[in-house]
Formats: sequence, structure tokens, C-alpha cells
Amino acid sequence: MTTTASRQEIKLMAHLMRRAGFGATIGELEARAAKGYATTVEELLHPGEAGDIPQDIIRRYHVDQSELRQPFSAAGNWVYRMVTSANPLEERLALFFHGLFATGYTKLNQARALLNQIEMFRRHGFGPFDTLLIELSKDPAMLLWLDNNENHNGHINENYGRELLELFSMGIGNYSEDDIKEASRAFTGWTLGNVDYMAMRAMKDSIWPYSRIAWHFNFDEGDHDAGEKTFLGETGNFNGEDIVKIICKQDAAAQFICTRLFQFFAADQVTENGQVCIDEMKRSYFESNYEIRTVLRTLFNSSYFKSEEARYARVKGPVELVVGAVRTAGSYTKPTLGVDDVAQQAFFMGQGLLNPPTVEGWHEGDEWIDSGALVERVNFVANELSNPDQPGVRTIINRLTENKESGVTAEQLVDDCLEAMGSLDVSRDTLNVLHDHVAGIEKATDDKNELGSRIAELLGLIGASREYQLA
Amino acid sequence: MTATAAKLGTLEYIKTIGVTNNGDNGRGFANPYSIAIDSSGNSYVINRCDPVRARAIRASVQDFDENFLFEFSEGYGSGPGQFVLPVAVAFSGDDELYITDEHNNRVVVYDAKGKFLTQWGQGGSEPHEFDGPAGIAIDSSGNVYVADQGSNSIKKFTSTGEHVSNFGSDEDGRGLNQPWGVGIDDGDNIYVADWRNDLVKKFGSDGTYLETYGGGGDVRFNRPSGVAVDSEGYIYVTDWGNERLCVLTPDGLGYADERGRATLSKWAIDYFSSNPDETTVRDKANLIPDLPPEYSNDPYHVSSQTEPYFWGPVAVTVDNEDRVYVVESNRHRIQIYKRS
Repeated sequence: MTTTASRQEIKLMAHLMRRAGFGATIGELEARAAKGYATTVEELLHPGEAGDIPQDIIRRYHVDQSELRQPFSAAGNWVYRMVTSANPLEERLALFFHGLFATGYTKLNQARALLNQIEMFRRHGFGPFDTLLIELSKDPAMLLWLDNNENHNGHINENYGRELLELFSMGIGNYSEDDIKEASRAFTGWTLGNVDYMAMRAMKDSIWPYSRIAWHFNFDEGDHDAGEKTFLGETGNFNGEDIVKIICKQDAAAQFICTRLFQFFAADQVTENGQVCIDEMKRSYFESNYEIRTVLRTLFNSSYFKSEEARYARVKGPVELVVGAVRTAGSYTKPTLGVDDVAQQAFFMGQGLLNPPTVEGWHEGDEWIDSGALVERVNFVANELSNPDQPGVRTIINRLTENKESGVTAEQLVDDCLEAMGSLDVSRDTLNVLHDHVAGIEKATDDKNELGSRIAELLGLIGASREYQLA
Repeated sequence: MTATAAKLGTLEYIKTIGVTNNGDNGRGFANPYSIAIDSSGNSYVINRCDPVRARAIRASVQDFDENFLFEFSEGYGSGPGQFVLPVAVAFSGDDELYITDEHNNRVVVYDAKGKFLTQWGQGGSEPHEFDGPAGIAIDSSGNVYVADQGSNSIKKFTSTGEHVSNFGSDEDGRGLNQPWGVGIDDGDNIYVADWRNDLVKKFGSDGTYLETYGGGGDVRFNRPSGVAVDSEGYIYVTDWGNERLCVLTPDGLGYADERGRATLSKWAIDYFSSNPDETTVRDKANLIPDLPPEYSNDPYHVSSQTEPYFWGPVAVTVDNEDRVYVVESNRHRIQIYKRS
């Protein structure tokens, strides 16, 4: 048994890992709590070796994940990474930017380019926001997604310039239509190699003659407008890098990115206390030259984040939910037929990895939940967690049955299962349902197999609870 | 190239066969994974796909002049003659086609007309059982050699599937590590692509260890997938992790490599003749582009962007005229070369 104080530490660590990761089992929480909260935050902010399944092992087994032509194969590849990575915050942050800079398979017909974009988020996600936006502006998938290949010197296409300001960095009300035009001029010539052939293949969804040809950035100096521009009150012969640097020093950019990070990692709704936290994040943003790592450190170490107000204040997104359940169940830790189906399950719940509905990304928070999605969510989690043959479920069963004296009560068993699944808090109503389900368990506890089956059922039921839908 | 390069001669590019097949019936390949040539010179290519394109998992047959002849399978699954994850194919001396399946843990045998004949093998950890059978080769007496990934061994069987022996250790007792391809020379010596040891190893047909390639000097492999030997003893290795074909002299000292030179196959030319809009823009494209630094140090990413290069070279075989066929799973084609 843990002491009251250490139990609180475990609860806080569980909260952190639900937000900065995909949840954690009690074993991981105990190990992290022993290191301390601040140390754990630093470890999460400084990813080391991911320790995930090596790509050569995956590519040999899943030929589709070597070619990466099919969108669900590419999504399955990312699922493996999220499920097995030792750096869950790195994956959560990539997922955050995937939703913020939403780029989708539809229109591109190039799953590999999307996965390359995710890898770019891993490389630059913790770094300065201006560097990330510059890399985003050079990203082949983004270039074609928002038509910058059609943005020419003398004939601008405003699509990328507009979304850069509206959806990616500042939000409506912080720039003019002229700013959009001037930004677009600065990004002329930012295009793909072999752009005409690649754009036609994307448009026709052509896999002939020899499958997809991956894309790379190309700066076409001859098509770049190097003339004078006035943008957000500054004048010069700006290029795309200059535009991004001007954006990032605006208060509106700080407010934008800090609020979006807050909503993804702390709470769906911004309360008065939440805005105080966002203001702290903004100060960190400017003091660190826009470094996302520093902003996140401020968030995770803030009194708001640690407070009761922030606990269970987010609805888990489908990918969070699915990956969290799979990590607890311990499945898909080696190449397995069906991993692409895991990605499809998240799609059925409303979040198709590598295929957001529009450039605005997904509508999150309460909008994740409708009756259809809820059924999918509950069924998936319950199926994963109620299977005693899953290695993670077996580990929990062993933990709860080893050295167990006979006569464990329903209350004890429910408490133990909630703790094993990541020190989960549930309401009195939920608790009553769980107690009822294992009422009379005292008579069964001499039979380890029977007890194991009942524990697996209970884990599935906890996975189906309202509280498990929240982070 | 090394000082012994003169002994290697020149590797001449002959042609490319194939085009991407989207999973429907007919000519073209859907992630081809292995190839075998029958006594008539027709090539038998097995497709391997994830279940989402299960209907494309089949063998297709074409002649050297790229005339599509026919295709066959008993469907996706674990029933008689069916496939889930086929890996490799090899012909016996009497033109029976042996196909491994790492998911079903068995060898399936078809005749050259595509009629299912028999199957043998089962999963398990006993010496005669499989744990992920991969590469396959058949010697002049009809004995069958299968690389078993999970047990890190080569399993030898009679032509009817009776277990003979297991082997794979070298003279110091070091074993194989997830072996993939198996090749055989005219003297019935067995060559193994020791995939995760980054080596190729040679054994006698009785399992006696003979030699290792790639352990030193100029020759360094990165996850070799396949190996084949021509009538003069030259060794061809599909160096999967480096996306290339390596050629070794019979003594293993001389070495050359080939990154790939694919051109349009007959079927690809047919495609462009009916899609002139793509032809126009393709003609202006540079299909061997200079790549940004984040891509250019990684052969896998370079190949993903460079159409003529090998991408996913998973198998190699040699026909009775010493022509070398390289199977590319990610480009859905076969590049053919010949040493001169």
C-alpha cells in the first residue's frame, strides 16, 4: 500500500501521463513517481531513443508499410510508434501538430508524404515555433495540400498564406487581406521537385507505372517574387522565412499557440484560472525565443495543471483513447496483422489518422462524443482490456492475484483494478456499478483462473466507464 | 570497386518487367516478393500484401518477352493451397513450385500450370516445425531448404516434406539471426541471407559451415534479403537495407554494387500510350533528382524518390542463361541484368 502522500503523487503522475502520454499502468506510475514529478516532466520534454519496433522489422513483415501507399498502412505504422515508443509526449506533440496543421490523404494521395510530415513534427516540434513554421512551409505534403505549387510570381495563390495566418499561427482579426497577399508573394517559388509531374499524379491518384514517387521540397528562385513587401507593418524584400519570423514575434501568435497547446494538454475549456496559466506560457514563449519545449514545461509545472480543476477536464480524442487502451493491453508490440484496423477503429470514432476532414482539423472536446462514436469507443476499449490473453492484461491479473489472500472483497478488487489501470478516479455511480458486477467475488477467489477472468471483465467494464473517456 | 574488379566484368542492364497492379486481375504485380523461373523460361512471381488487399495475393506467370500468361492461387486464408503471408518460391527439377508462407507456417506446392498439389509443415518449436518460414531453395536431389526466421535455422526436408536436419551455426557456433533468402549453386551448396546479422553464409548441403560474406573488407551488407549464384559461381545479393544489388566474385573477394537502372517495361509503355497527359509532364521530370540532405543519406528515402533505383529489393534469382532477376516489392517490377 502506498502512503496518503505518495498516493497523491501517484494520482498527479497519472494525470500528467494521461496528458503528456497515453496513460500509464500503475507499474510505470510508481517508477516515474519515484523519480519525481519535475524529473519526469524533463524526461518527457527531452525524448531519447524511442525503443519502438525497429522499422526494418516492420517493413519486412508489412510490405504495405514499406511501400506506404495505402493510408491505413501509413496510419498503422504511426500506431506502432505511438503504442511502443518510450517517448509518449513526442508522439502526443506530433498528434497535436497533426491536428493543428491538418494535412490529409484526400487530395494528396500520398500517404508517405504525410508520414514524413509527422517525422518532421518529431524533429522540430519541441523547438522554436518559427523554425517549425518554416519547416511546415517547406513540407511537400503541406505545399500541395494548400496549393503553394500554384503560387507563382505575378500570379499568387493565397491559400497557404491565408491559412498560415488564420489557422496555423495567429487567427482571424490579427491581420489584413493585404497581409495575406504580401505573405503569399513571399512564398512564391516554394514548391516540389518535378512539381508538374507530381501534381498530376496526385490529382489522378496515379500509381503507375511503378507506384508513388515520394516528394521533396524545391525552391524555384526564378518563380520567386523578391520584390518589396509590407507585412504586419514592416517593409522589406521579404521571403517566407522573414514572414514567419515577423509572425512569431506578435502577441497574437503567442496567444494562439499557447491557447491551442493549453486546450490539447490541459483543458478543453479555458477558465479564468486557465487564462492565467496561458499568460505564464506566453511569457515563456517570448523569454525562450518561441521554444515549444519551454512553453510546455511552464504548462506542466503550473499550479493550474496540477490542480483538481484540470483533472479529467478533457475528452480523450479517438487516437488517444485507442492507443491508450492498446498500450494498457500490451498488444501490437510486435508486427501483427490487423494493426491497420486499429487505425481504422479511430477513424470510425471520428479521427482518421493522416486524414483529417479539412485543414481546420478535428472538432475536439465534447464534439468527439456522439452516440455512434461512443459505441465504437466503448466496444473497442472493452474488447482490448477484457481479454486475459493480452500481455498487459495478464500482467495486471498477475499483479492482482499473486500473493493474494483468499476472500478479497468486491470493493478491494475494484479499487485494485482502478489503481492498476492508471490510478483512475471514478464517480460513486460508476463505483456502484463496478461493485455490483463483482458482488460475491469472495467465493471465487480461491480459483486463480476464475479470479483472473473476473478481473479481465472488470478491466473491460472500467474501460467502458464514463471516466475512462476523459483524460 | 576493388582491385579485383576486373574479375567481375560488367553488369549489363537488360530490361524491366512489370507494372503496378492495383489488386485486380491481370498483368502487373502487387508487391511482388519472390520469383522463380521454370524450365521454359517463364517467370512465376508471388505477390504479398496486407489483408486489406488480400485478393491480390497470388502468383502471376509471364514469359521473358513480357507476355502475361496466367495467374493462380486458392485464395486468401489457411485452407488448402491458400496464402496469408507468402514469402518465397522455388522450382524443383520437375517444375513443381514450392511456396513458403510465414503466417501459415507451411510449404505449399503447385504444378507449373497453377494447380495446387500438396502442402506440408506446421507451426511449433519442434525441430521439424516452422516458426516463420521464409526463403526456400531446392537441390539437385529434390531436397528442400527453408530459412526459418523464428528458430534462426535452415531446415532441410525431403521433397515430400520429411524432416532431415537443421543447421545454421558457423565454425564458432554463432547462429543465424532471422534469416530471409536462400540460394543454391550448381554444387548444391546453400547460401543464406542472414538478414539481421547483415551477412551471407555458405553451407554444404549437409549443413557444414563453409564461408561468410560481408563480415569484413569492402563488402558490408545491411539486412540482405536474397542471394543467388550463377553457373560460374558469382554470387548476387539483394542488399535490402542499402537498396542495391551486390555482386561477389566466386572467391568472395571481388565486389561491385548496382543501385538500379529501371526503364519502362512493355506494360508501362502501354500505360503511357493511353495516358498521354502524364507522358508529357513525365518527360520534363528528372527522375534521379538531387535531394535535400534530410533524405540523401538514407537509401530507403532516396529510393522512394528515385524511380529507376531499386526500392525494396526482396529477392534475386538467376535463370539458366545466367540472367539475374531482382524483385522490387515497392516498385512492383523485376529488373533484369547479366554479367559480361
